[in-house]
Amino acid sequence: MKRFGKLVIFLVMVAMLSTACATATPAAPAESAGPFRVAVVTPSAINDLAFSQSIYDAMVKIQGEMGEANFQFVLSDGMFVVDDAAAAIRDYASQGYNLVIAHGSQYGAALQEIAPDFPNVSFAWGTAGDTFGIPNVFAYEAFSQEGGYVNGVLAAALNESGTIGVVGPVEVGDAKLYVDGFVAGVKATNPDITVNVNYIGSFGDVALASEAAQTHIGAGADVMTGSAQMVVGAVGVAKEKGVLWFGTQADQTSLAPEIVVACQIYDWAVVVRDIISLIQEGTLGGKAYAVSLQNEGLKMIYNPGFNLPADVKALGDAATKGIIDGTVTIGVGGK
Amino acid sequence: MTDKQILPSGHPRIDSLEMRGIVKRFPGVLANDHVNFDVRAGEVHALLGENGAGKSTLMKQLYGLYHPDEGQIIFDGEPRVIHSPKDAIQLGIGMIHQHFMLVDSLTVAENVALGLPSTRGMMTDIDRVTKRICELAEVYGLDVEPDAYIWQLSVGQQQKVEIIKALYRGAALLILDEPTAVLTPQEVDDFFVTLTQMAKDGHALIFISHKLHEVMAFTHRVTVLRDGKNVGTVNTVDTNKNLLAEMMVGRPLNFIRNYKTIECGKPRLKVENLSALSDRGVPALKNVSFEVCAGEVLGLAGVSGNGQPELAQVIAGLRPSTSGKIMIDDETLTGSTPMQVIEKGVAYIPEKRNVDGLIKEFSVSENLILRDLDREFYSKNAFLNMNNIAKRSADLVKTFNVKTPSIDTPIKSLSGGNAQKVILAREISRQPRVLIAAQPTRGVDIGATEYIHERIIEQRETGTATLLISEDLDEIFALSDRIAVIFHGEIMGVVDRKDATLQSIGLMMAGEQPPETQAAE
Amino acid sequence: MLADLFTGSVLIGLLASGIRLATPYLYAAIGETFGQRSGVLNLGVDGIMLMGAFSAFYVVFKTGDLVGGVLLAMLVGLLMGLAMAFISVTLNAEQGISGIGVYLFGLGMSDLLFQKLINNVQTVSGFPVAPIPFLSEIPVIGQIFFTHNVLVYGAYLLVPIAWFVLNKTTLGLKIKAVGENPEAADTLGVSVAKIRYLTVSMGGLLSGVAGASLSIALLNVFQFNLTNGLGFIAIALVYFGGWRPTWVLMGSLIFSFVNALQIWVQVVGIPIPSDIAVMTPYILTIVVLVISAQRVRPPSALSKTYERLE
Ligand SMILES: Nc1ncnc2c1ncn2[C@@H]1O[C@H](COP(=O)(O)OP(=O)(O)OP(=O)(O)O)[C@@H](O)[C@H]1O
Ligand SMILES: [Mg+2]
Repeated sequence: MKRFGKLVIFLVMVAMLSTACATATPAAPAESAGPFRVAVVTPSAINDLAFSQSIYDAMVKIQGEMGEANFQFVLSDGMFVVDDAAAAIRDYASQGYNLVIAHGSQYGAALQEIAPDFPNVSFAWGTAGDTFGIPNVFAYEAFSQEGGYVNGVLAAALNESGTIGVVGPVEVGDAKLYVDGFVAGVKATNPDITVNVNYIGSFGDVALASEAAQTHIGAGADVMTGSAQMVVGAVGVAKEKGVLWFGTQADQTSLAPEIVVACQIYDWAVVVRDIISLIQEGTLGGKAYAVSLQNEGLKMIYNPGFNLPADVKALGDAATKGIIDGTVTIGVGGK
Repeated sequence: MTDKQILPSGHPRIDSLEMRGIVKRFPGVLANDHVNFDVRAGEVHALLGENGAGKSTLMKQLYGLYHPDEGQIIFDGEPRVIHSPKDAIQLGIGMIHQHFMLVDSLTVAENVALGLPSTRGMMTDIDRVTKRICELAEVYGLDVEPDAYIWQLSVGQQQKVEIIKALYRGAALLILDEPTAVLTPQEVDDFFVTLTQMAKDGHALIFISHKLHEVMAFTHRVTVLRDGKNVGTVNTVDTNKNLLAEMMVGRPLNFIRNYKTIECGKPRLKVENLSALSDRGVPALKNVSFEVCAGEVLGLAGVSGNGQPELAQVIAGLRPSTSGKIMIDDETLTGSTPMQVIEKGVAYIPEKRNVDGLIKEFSVSENLILRDLDREFYSKNAFLNMNNIAKRSADLVKTFNVKTPSIDTPIKSLSGGNAQKVILAREISRQPRVLIAAQPTRGVDIGATEYIHERIIEQRETGTATLLISEDLDEIFALSDRIAVIFHGEIMGVVDRKDATLQSIGLMMAGEQPPETQAAE
Repeated sequence: MLADLFTGSVLIGLLASGIRLATPYLYAAIGETFGQRSGVLNLGVDGIMLMGAFSAFYVVFKTGDLVGGVLLAMLVGLLMGLAMAFISVTLNAEQGISGIGVYLFGLGMSDLLFQKLINNVQTVSGFPVAPIPFLSEIPVIGQIFFTHNVLVYGAYLLVPIAWFVLNKTTLGLKIKAVGENPEAADTLGVSVAKIRYLTVSMGGLLSGVAGASLSIALLNVFQFNLTNGLGFIAIALVYFGGWRPTWVLMGSLIFSFVNALQIWVQVVGIPIPSDIAVMTPYILTIVVLVISAQRVRPPSALSKTYERLE
C-alpha cells in the first residue's frame, strides 16, 4: 500500500503547482541587482475586486511608473491559510527580495516571528498601525472611514425607503472602520434613516453575503454597501433586485454597472512609493502609514455609467473636501 | 441438468466435485501442495489438519476467493474455473467462513438478500425473503428471527444465519470452516442435526474442525492435510481419534496427563460482589464473588453470553465495574488501568483474540512483545533491542509451533489458528501471577491444544492462579481444581472437580441451583 | 424592534432564505453520504464543488446555457469522483490524504482556469426563480417552499430519493454492506470496488451540482475559493447526521435556518455581538444533531481500504 503514497504526493504536488501557476503573476524577478524587487502575499485572489486586488493594482501602477527594468514584483494570492502564507513570506525573504509585503492583518503574528530572522530584508504589513518596534517592518492602514463617510452621505441622499443595508465581513479593523464611517455619513445627512448592519463572520463566504443582502432587501433596504471580497455575493443580489450599491477597497463598477454608484478605492502606491524611497536610502522599517483622502491613498470613484444627480454628487464632493480640510468630523477612528 | 435431483433448497444437487493437483503459493509459504480432494452428494466430508495446514486456503479456492496456481476443479465431471464467489454461488457452492461474514447493522433477512437479484427489480423484496427464510428454517430446524439485527444475535444464532444464507442461495455443496469452534455443546448438537439432515437430502458437505470427537461422530469420510499436502483420505468408520491425530501431527499424541494435586496456597485472586454492565448498558455481571488460590485452576463454565467476556475484561482493566472489588494478594485491582493490571502480574488471553489481543497489521514478533515493550530486555531508553526481540520471538514461534514464513510476517496473513497461537505464546510465557484464559484452545489444533494444556498445568504447579473460562466442558474437567458456573451474570455455584459430574454442571449452566451447595458467597 | 422579528412577511423571508441556503449543503452532503455509507471518506468535496462551480459558471458566462452549465458541472464532478475512487479504491491509497489531494487540486485548478479563461469577477444571470404553478400560490407555504429556482427544488427531491435508494433497493443494501463489512459483501459476490466506484463518482457528480448551485443559481458569480470551505461543513453534516439522508437534511436545514436567523437578528439591530451571532449556527447544529442522532456508529469500514488478501 505504501507504494501508492507516492501517487498521492504527486497529486498534491500537481495541486500545489496549479495553485502556484495561478498565483505567480508575470514579471519574475530578474537576476541582476538592478531592479527593486517586491514580493506580495495576499489572503484572497488578486482579482477579488476588493482587498487583495487593491495591492495588486498598486504594484502594477508602480511598475508602470518606474518601468519594468527598475521594479519587479511577484505575488502569491489565495493564502487564506495563515501557515501557508507564513511559509511563503519566509521563502520570499530568503530569496533576497528588497521588500516583502504581507497584505493581511492576520499575518501579523507570523511576520513578527519571521522579520527578525532577515534583518536585511524589509517587510511591510497591513492593514495595521503597529510595526512591533522591529526595525525592518513597515505597517500601513487605511482611514477607510473617510470614504465610508462619503459613501454614507451619497447613500442617504439617494435613499427613498428609509432603510439602508450594510453587509460586513468580520467586525474588526478596516471593515469596521469603513462601516462605522458609512453609518456616520448617513446619520449626518439624514438621522431618520435606519441603517441595518450585519457581519457575516467571514471574509470569504459569498453565499452568506448573498443571503444577508436578500435579508437587507427584505427588511426594506433600497441602498446597500459592504466590505471585503465576499461582497460579490451581495452585489449580485443587489443587481438582480435593482438595489443601489456603494463599494469600497476597489472599483466594483464592472460587476454591476447599472447599480454601482460610487466606490472608495485604495491606492497603496502612495505608501509603497515612500517605502521604496526609504529603503533605497537605507531605512528598512519602523514607519507606520495610513492612506487617506488627503494623501490621495484613498479616492472616490464615481460610476460614469450611473446617472447621479448633480446635487447629490455635489454633496459627496463637499464631504470629501470637508474631510480633507478637516472641517468635517466623522467621529470614527480619530477622524 | 434436468435429470438431476432437485434439493429442497431448490438447487439441483452436485453429484461429485473433485479438486485435482491443487497448488497454491503465498509469499514464503506453499499453502497447498498438489492436493487431491473430492466430495459427493449426500456425504459429510471432514477436512482435518493442524493450524496452517492449508484447509481454509483449499476451500477458498473452491469458493473463488483465491485462485489455484496449478490444478483443476472438476464439477460433475466437467472442469470449471471459478473466478469469484459469484461464480461459486451460481454453481451451487456455499461457504461458511471461519470468521463470520455477516453485516452487523443489517437484519437477518437483509443479510440473506444481500447481493441477490430481487423479484422487484431494483427494489428489495425483503417480505419475500422473509417468507422463504421461514420456510427454510422450518425444513432444517433453524429457528431465526428474520427481522432481528445481527448484532442482537448470539454466536450460535449467527451461525444459523450463515447456513440459511448459503441454503437460500441454493447451496448444494456447503463448506463449513470450523463452524463449531464458537458453539456451545448444546448448539453443536442442534447443528449436527441440521447438517445430518442436509446430507440426507442430498447436499454435499465439507466440514472443517479441530475436534476429533465431532469428526468421528457424524462424518462419512475424512481427509487430512499436513503442511499443505494430502496425507490421506479414509472412511470415518475405518479410523479412530488416535489414528487421525497421528495423521495430522505425524506423531502419537499424549491424551492422558499426570495431574499433581498440590496444596492450595492462600487466595491470590479475590473477586467480591462484582457487578458490571455490558456494551449495551444492561447488567452483565451481578454480584459475582469467587477466589482463586495460588497454584489453582478455577474453571468457569457457562454457555456463551452469560457474562464471561465481561468478567475477564473487568479483571483485565478493560471494562469498568459498577460495584464490587477485585484483589490480588491484598492489593486492590479495582479501577486499575490495563497497564497497571499487567504490571501487577496479570496475563490475559482474550476470547476475541483477533479483535482484542492482536494488531493485525503488525508482524508476528511485534505482536509477541507488545505487552512487554517496556522491559529492559526489549528496550532501553526508548530504543528497541532488535536482537533480543528477534531471538525471543524466534524461540516462542518455535515452542508454540506457530506456522509462519518469518517472524516479520504480518499477523493478518497467518492462518486462523496460528494467529491465536501468537497471543497464547505471548501471554503464557510471561510467568504471570494470575492468568485469565478465555477459551484458550478455541480454534487451535490438537497439537497446540495439548501444548497449551500442558503449559497451563505447568503454570499451576509454579503457583499461578488461573481463571480458565471455557465452554468446552472436556477442557474444564481436564484442567480445573474447582469449577464455577456462571449463568445470566451470576455464579450459580462452585464445586470441587472430584464432586462434579457433567450432568450437575450442565444443569447449573442451564440456570438451576445445585442441590446441596448454596450459591457461592 | 423585537416585534419586527415576528411579522409574517419577515418570517416568510427568513424561512425561504434558510431553504435556499441549504441547497449546496444538501447536494454535497447527500453525495458524501453515499460514499461514506460504502466506506469511502472523500475529503475532496470542497475541491470538486469548486471545479463544478467554475465549469458551470464558464458555460453560462460564455453561452448563457444554464442546463449545459449544470451538465458540465456534473461531468467534471463525476470525473473528479472517479479520480478519487481510482486513488482510494484501485490504488488503495489512504483516503484522508487522497481527499485532501483532490481538494487542493480543485482549489488550485479552478482558480487557474478562472484566471486563464475569465480573469476577473463577473456576474451571470443564473437560474431564474421558477415558482411551481399552483403550489406557489398557497399562502405562506407557497412563498417559503415553492418559489425558488430549479436547483433548489432538485436538492430537496434528492433527499427522499437518497433515502429510498439506501433503504429500499438492492443497491442500497449493497452499499451499506460494503461500508460495514466489505469482506462479507465480497463473499456474497458483491464487488466492493464496483460499489465504491459508483458511490464515490455519484458523490462527485452531486458535489459538482452543489458547486453549480452556487455559481449559477444562488450567487451567479465565481471567484477564487467561492465555496469557502462549504464542502467541509457538508462532510461534518454527514457525520453529525449519522449517515442518514433524513438527518442530513435536518442538519442542513437547522444550520441554514439558524444562519438566516442570525443574519436577521443582526439586521434588525438586536444587540448581540456579531462574533457570537455567527457562531450560533455551528453550535446549534452540532448540539441538536448530537443529542438527537444519539448513538449512531459510523460505518465500520469507513475510511478503510479493502483488499482481498491473495
Ligand atoms: N492471504 C494470505 N497471505 C499469505 N499467506 C497466507 C494467506 N492465507 C494463508 N496463508 C498461509 O497459508 C498457510 C495455510 O493457511 P490456512 O489458512 O489455509 O490454514 P488452515 O489449515 O485453515 O489453518 P487453521 O486451522 O489455523 O485455520 C498458512 O501458513 C498461512 O500463513
Ligand atoms: Mg483456517
